[in-house]
Amino acid sequence: MMMRQATPEERKKFYAEEWNKRDVPDFILHTLSLREFGFDLDGTGPSHRYFQFTTLEQLEDFMRHRAPYSAFASVALYERPSMREGWQKAELVFDIDAKDLPVKTCGCPKGQVCEKCLQEAKKVAMEFAETLRSDLGIRKINFVYSGRGFHIRVNDEAVMGLEQNERGQLVNYITGAVIPSDLTMALGYSKIFRERAARTLENLDEGAILNAVKAKQVAARLVAEKNNVLAAIRSGRMEQISGKGIGQTSISRLMETLARLNSEFTDGKVTIDTKRILRLPSSLHSGASMRCMVVKDMEKFSPDEAVPKFVREGR
Amino acid sequence: MLSKEYLAVLNPFSDEARKIVEASPALESLPAEIKELAVRRMKWSDKEALVQPDSQSVQAEVLSFYLMCQAIAAVSYPNSREVRFASDATRKTIRYRIYDMFRRGEEELCLEAVRRFVNVVELGSEEGKRLIGREIPRDDVYRIRDMGLQKDGVGTVDDRLLPQYLPKYAVRWVGLAPIMRQRRLELTDLYLLNGWAVITPRDLWHLHAEMLGVETEDYIQSVYERLADAGTPSPLLVDIGSKISSFVPKLPEFRERIGRGVAGRLRPEFFPPCVNISLSGVGSGARNYAVVMLLTPFLSHARAAPPPGAMRIADYITDVSAVTDEIAPLIFDAAERCNPSLFKDQPQEKANVFYHMGFGMTTEPRLGDSGRSKWYGVPNCTKVQMSAPSICKPDDFCRFIKSPLTYYFRKKAERGGAVQEAGK
Repeated sequence: MMMRQATPEERKKFYAEEWNKRDVPDFILHTLSLREFGFDLDGTGPSHRYFQFTTLEQLEDFMRHRAPYSAFASVALYERPSMREGWQKAELVFDIDAKDLPVKTCGCPKGQVCEKCLQEAKKVAMEFAETLRSDLGIRKINFVYSGRGFHIRVNDEAVMGLEQNERGQLVNYITGAVIPSDLTMALGYSKIFRERAARTLENLDEGAILNAVKAKQVAARLVAEKNNVLAAIRSGRMEQISGKGIGQTSISRLMETLARLNSEFTDGKVTIDTKRILRLPSSLHSGASMRCMVVKDMEKFSPDEAVPKFVREGR
Repeated sequence: MLSKEYLAVLNPFSDEARKIVEASPALESLPAEIKELAVRRMKWSDKEALVQPDSQSVQAEVLSFYLMCQAIAAVSYPNSREVRFASDATRKTIRYRIYDMFRRGEEELCLEAVRRFVNVVELGSEEGKRLIGREIPRDDVYRIRDMGLQKDGVGTVDDRLLPQYLPKYAVRWVGLAPIMRQRRLELTDLYLLNGWAVITPRDLWHLHAEMLGVETEDYIQSVYERLADAGTPSPLLVDIGSKISSFVPKLPEFRERIGRGVAGRLRPEFFPPCVNISLSGVGSGARNYAVVMLLTPFLSHARAAPPPGAMRIADYITDVSAVTDEIAPLIFDAAERCNPSLFKDQPQEKANVFYHMGFGMTTEPRLGDSGRSKWYGVPNCTKVQMSAPSICKPDDFCRFIKSPLTYYFRKKAERGGAVQEAGK
């Protein structure tokens, strides 16, 4: 997958010909005048902040004339967005960036993105959303393709008033970042942790396992017994592997590493920041020459849908 | 069967309690017995917390509670030891009362009190089954029971005690957010299905008491703000507040002894990796967190070495130069080293550093200002890892600790001694 930076001319072309105000999703549109907008006009960072648009036409006018490198809107709703004052509530957001996945099976280095990374990010986003629904009873969950990964954006009133600490705890829960006090329960957090830990271990290479347990022989055994270890984690019966030359300390070390890696599947900083600005769906991710867009059907979504016309024409 | 008015005893913020407060005489005309009760209630043992089911006792209970809160607000400040002491006393009192009521067969009244805060359903009811939407596996029920028993250290269980440990209710987890906000409850400790936390009666009463502890703190804070706007508080409130304050444990000797470490000159050689990375300057994504949220509390706590729960740095240092000449320069240098430099585009963060040490928004801290804002605690490793993964590069020593501060004090204790010996 080729991702390249868009030129100023391509940005102008995109906002003149392709960008459509109707692509701004309803969850932004219905609260447009309550959000702070921020822009990166030339690729140096989003230093143009404190914008407020009371109508969609004002936003349209800005986008067409300035053709920003990046456009962002706050997850928070304010009484006075142009002063970032009078915080009312904020979307609950999870950022799954394909370039920052802690475990990759494609072999591409951290910081880079390939189609496989994007597929993995998509799978993670879907798992997280499922936990939000089934365990946490959260509704109004939107998926956004950010250009290099996925955003989960929740507009459920029940959670929009949550503050940093609670949001941080939600990250721990949905990622499986904490080893539960009981690994064996069939449902609840215990199950979430087991699933996430097994998924992480499945994709972990020998080097990473060695890094976790700090003993070559144990790491070799864990690799040789990987299927049994995975089965033990999935059932929560870790005693199944403790007799196979893998001691309790090594198991603890492994579990701690898995919990830590689990937590890195989303950028917790984004979730706990209730005043963050997030890439505007419909806008251009100029660093990747991809459209940031709402994804209606995650199962069927392919990043090809987000390729702008100027890239397709240039192929 | 108890009257509805008795709900005020289980929840001083209920409508029933508010009615009592609205109908109460002016502060100065309150009976002496209530004034005494406002002080005495802070020292109650379990049984003393019980209230007779007559109107006069209920009224005395509610009025003395409010008098206690207002008196504390008149002589202390939010986040003070007095406030913490009052909220802990309230938790203890309410928990004991609600357990007692439940044991005496007043489950409905208990539930009514809890429902003022959080939506509760019974698992066995049709509504409960519909809302949760699935059967709870039997083994999970037993595991929840066993974990509760283990947590409370209960070895043998009789028929009277057992029902307290069996899952019986479900509450909406979002309703528990105020307790989570204070980190007195972890989401990952709950058994969640479809947005509902499956809990035992014991958990429910415990959560109710926790919620009232939070409410008490919030209420004292609101009174404090009102009093600050109004000017000098009533001499009566100051008098009662001073009496309460006089027996709030300052810093019990044993807590001093088990304090995390020894105050004194900062020893960078024992800093954990995340602090060293932060000190060397970080990129734009993590700089505010590294400087304000990690370095500021870490260095101030490492230097002052307060016991857990400490509120004011001024209680642990004798001279403000410890802040201005030892702690702040390290933080400011780290901010300068960030890319881009933190204070260049966010100069207000300089005042924010002192704000996080409890001096309020200022760039010239004085010891007397300590307590104007909250003295922020050091984030634990999970929080650092989540908020700024780029600065969390654990070494072998990190494996045994859960907080950067513990890392520092433990390493200092273990290796500091050796260094001193070698230097002799």
